[in-house]
Amino acid sequence: MKNFYDFKVDNIIGLSSKEKEFRNKELDLFDKNGFPNKREEAWKFTDLNTILSKNFTNITNDYISLKEKKFELIKEFDHNYLFVLDGKLVSNEFKFEDKNKVSIKEYDYEKQTFVRNQNSLNLLNNALASGGYSLEISKNYKFRKPLVVYNHFSESIKEQIISYKNSLILNENSEIKILNYTDTNSKNNFFVNSFDCFKLKKDSSLKNIFINKNRCNCYFHNYQKSDLEHNTTLDNYILSTGLKFNKMDIEINLNEEHAKSSVFSALSLSSDEHQEIKSSLNHNSKNCQSYQKIKNVLNDQSRGVYQGKIFVKQEAQKTDAYQLSKALLLNDNAEFDAKPELEIYADDVKCSHGSTSGSIDLDSIHYLKSRGIPEKKAYQMLINGFLSEILEKLPEDNLKKFLIEKLGR
Amino acid sequence: MLNIKNLEAKVDNKHILNGLNLDIKPGEVHAIMGPNGSGKSTLANVLSGKNGYETKGEIKYNGENLSELSTEERAQKGIFLAFQYPLEIPGVNTNVFLRTSLNSVRKARGEKELDTLNFLKIVKEKSSELGIDEKFLSRQLNVGFSGGEKKKNEILQMKILQPKLSILDETDSGLDIDALRIVADGVNSYKNKENAFLIITHYQRLLDYIKPDFIHVLSKGKIVKTGNADLGVELEKTGYANFI
Ligand SMILES: Nc1ncnc2c1ncn2[C@@H]1O[C@H](COP(=O)(O)OP(=O)(O)OP(=O)(O)O)[C@@H](O)[C@H]1O
Ligand SMILES: [Mg+2]
Repeated sequence: MKNFYDFKVDNIIGLSSKEKEFRNKELDLFDKNGFPNKREEAWKFTDLNTILSKNFTNITNDYISLKEKKFELIKEFDHNYLFVLDGKLVSNEFKFEDKNKVSIKEYDYEKQTFVRNQNSLNLLNNALASGGYSLEISKNYKFRKPLVVYNHFSESIKEQIISYKNSLILNENSEIKILNYTDTNSKNNFFVNSFDCFKLKKDSSLKNIFINKNRCNCYFHNYQKSDLEHNTTLDNYILSTGLKFNKMDIEINLNEEHAKSSVFSALSLSSDEHQEIKSSLNHNSKNCQSYQKIKNVLNDQSRGVYQGKIFVKQEAQKTDAYQLSKALLLNDNAEFDAKPELEIYADDVKCSHGSTSGSIDLDSIHYLKSRGIPEKKAYQMLINGFLSEILEKLPEDNLKKFLIEKLGR
Repeated sequence: MLNIKNLEAKVDNKHILNGLNLDIKPGEVHAIMGPNGSGKSTLANVLSGKNGYETKGEIKYNGENLSELSTEERAQKGIFLAFQYPLEIPGVNTNVFLRTSLNSVRKARGEKELDTLNFLKIVKEKSSELGIDEKFLSRQLNVGFSGGEKKKNEILQMKILQPKLSILDETDSGLDIDALRIVADGVNSYKNKENAFLIITHYQRLLDYIKPDFIHVLSKGKIVKTGNADLGVELEKTGYANFI
């Protein structure tokens, strides 16, 4: 079979020979595997190779980013921002913050972090990544306003893969809320393969929100690797995306006592959207907490997948780990798959997991209609009600209001 | 106002209503009593437009053929059903629900939708009349409400929506003595020459407070006896044995 992709390390400019060598090795490893398919545990429900081969004829990594573009700032709430075009940091503004406490640079590939695991997309990212940013927040500094990362993609990108890495370091007792706001009007198909590396030093806190501004035809894969020190908090919020394909692969390492992490997701999918969350909450130390709650509303032929893993090391006593996924299926052609996975080596742990899926309760619809509420609105109310548990947890009133409105509720 | 002729209703090929006739005029209060399983709630559900019933016969509401109206249209035109078992709707705030409901009805009537302030004024007034603590209204709709609280919430909805025909399905069951009086007062104060009530109950107690013009006995899906308020007292003494 003819390959539907053609990647070359030489397409990336300005690499040292050492870098080139490393990247070519990674690319060779990727080529041996190809894109992930169902044989791999992490892709059990999704044959990405087949999906891509059906939707692409020849994916390359030779895109040329156009020059700086105008972009529209969110007006609904005060915020700092990074503007990232096709994975490259173009501009930034931290007007609400003490600028001495924030360091923002382009990502330095000489000092890059990489993971090599069964997910071959990580190998591909190691080989092809360019652009991206490194953000570091000083000790004891707490952001006054959220940071919005505007992820924009050019309309000229077509049949190409965009790869980049970002890094975020939160020094001791620092704090930030980030909204990752993907914005593209492109009708073209392209693939984005990104890697985020978060380091949370003692007592720091990160809230990280993902949302997509409009529907588009892109395929996204993001790997997040987070390392949490003592008494840190990391909360991820994954909201509706409108992306044709999106997989968030989240690895969270609770490395020291009293680290806490949550994964919240409220998704409302329609047409042929495909959204996956794969998480590994690794309890490597005692007295850590993890909490995952995933809620999917699936209409049309959409597809939701949740693979949630809780790993508890032998010394991680007094672990408190919880995961629950719930799906509301609005159409017989929609599908939700959940696979919880528990790997527990400690004996004194509190661990619970569960998964349910069901259709909308028609008696409840009747009740609302019997109060004069039109049927469409009644459905919307029940759907919102289903997701509200997650949406209520979003931080900062103005930001929350903006997000809830964006989600059309 | 309401004219039911020869109404039959089937669910899964099981006959529940078997040729029921009933006429309700504006200003009247009708009570329906009858043994468990005789079809009282089924009648209420059919009137509210609930799906799943195969019906025959005719139901006219102010001259209109009811079967041609959707549930929401019936509500917008003034039919209100206080459910025997009000549903719990997680994630839906009671106040938001009440406002959405009232504004949907107002919109259908060609009235202006109410803003939050004006809406809250109405809710405050009506809920205090029923002795409902405002705290309830910021909770999720009926979620975790006690049986009696749910019933009071139904009457609150009635008072807010101001229907023409109110069907109360065992609203008295589960109410304590004081709540029963409050609910009955609520009904009495709302009662006027233009609106009508169909009250389904098992107990004479409620009918002591809300004096019905007619009492009907429903048995096996049919009205087998109609009388005035005295019939209730009689039934209380003798049970249904004489009528079924
Ligand atoms: N969906 C259904 N499927 C099968 N049988 C049904 C269904 N709904 C109602 N029935 C049956 O129809 C009969 C009438 O039910 P209904 O709820 O109308 O009684 P009711 O008079 O309101 O009783 P109660 O006083 O106990 O409230 C019962 O025997 C009930 O089991
Ligand atoms: Mg009943």
